[in-house]
Amino acid sequence: MLARRSVIRLATQPAPLGVAPSGARNMATLRELELRLKSVRNIEKITKSMKMIASTKLSKAQRAMQNGKQYGIANQEVFENAKPEEAPKRKLFLVISSDKGLCGGVHSSVSKATRRAIADSPGSPIAIVGDKSKAQLSRALPNNLTITFNQIGRDVPTFADAAAVADLIAKSGVEYDVVEIVYNKFVSALSYESGVMQVPGEETFKETAGFKAYEMEEEVTKDLAEFALANAIFATLTESHACEQSSRRNAMDNASKNASDMIGSLQMQYNRGRQAAITNELVDIITGHGDWKTLYAIVRT
Amino acid sequence: MSAPAWRQFFSFNKYSQIAARAVRQSLNETERVAAEKRGLTDVRYQKWENGKGGEQVLLNPKET
Repeated sequence: MLARRSVIRLATQPAPLGVAPSGARNMATLRELELRLKSVRNIEKITKSMKMIASTKLSKAQRAMQNGKQYGIANQEVFENAKPEEAPKRKLFLVISSDKGLCGGVHSSVSKATRRAIADSPGSPIAIVGDKSKAQLSRALPNNLTITFNQIGRDVPTFADAAAVADLIAKSGVEYDVVEIVYNKFVSALSYESGVMQVPGEETFKETAGFKAYEMEEEVTKDLAEFALANAIFATLTESHACEQSSRRNAMDNASKNASDMIGSLQMQYNRGRQAAITNELVDIITGHGDWKTLYAIVRT
Repeated sequence: MSAPAWRQFFSFNKYSQIAARAVRQSLNETERVAAEKRGLTDVRYQKWENGKGGEQVLLNPKET
């Protein structure tokens, strides 16, 4: 209705070629703007609530990370005193990520670090925790994958998760001198960076001066190597989990800010459009170009 | 003493998890509930050959 009247008005003036009558465009964009406004408002609500949830999960994850780090430190004590003489040759890469998205760049950071690290030893097997990195690395390095895990990281990772991963790696029969665990290190609540933790395998331990100084019972070194691997996996799982929560919180915070900026500018546009439409109607009425039906309807309201 | 019997069947990590489960189940009510949560794992794994993934296998299938 509005469009028809405006079209009649503008038909008296020659319109530039290819431009829709401005009245018609205003009508279409008003409804469009309204829909956009509604959808962006919904998105802002969702991202805000995701941010709240991630903040609460972050505090829990940080506490778990502090506890988990102790396991990694205990490992390091042993490794310090049992350094291998030569550089390890066969490496197994274990990539720590998770199954959920919308968390900023945590998964890409870990996948990129793996691709950089594996450049030196191209044929190395890769084990992956988490579907996101699995998707990225199965496109880039599909023939290196040996075993992948998922369903870890929905809640704070437990030692049971870490022990299960270590056990399955041992059972899979992959041969290695050292496991390089690629994970995200927690720098602060606002930032993280990728890092690598090395865990020697059983054979490497046996060759070190520290171990050769003692007479070892048969299976003890194997047990130590497997348990050290589980410890390291637990430390890196909890730290990566904390990084993921902080990154998700920051990403959702940015998204909410962007959404509220968009709402502000869309609202302005919408109001301008609405006022312009009303002004047009008034002008129509005053100049008498409107039909008597609309005039009657407007006067009655 | 020759190798303990469990060595033929599983690794040290599995052994420690079984022992941990026994300890958790022996705790008193409130502590046990809190400790059980630390023993939960839903890990699924998938073996890969030549760039192709195999079946997803649940490590601890849920007894329903």
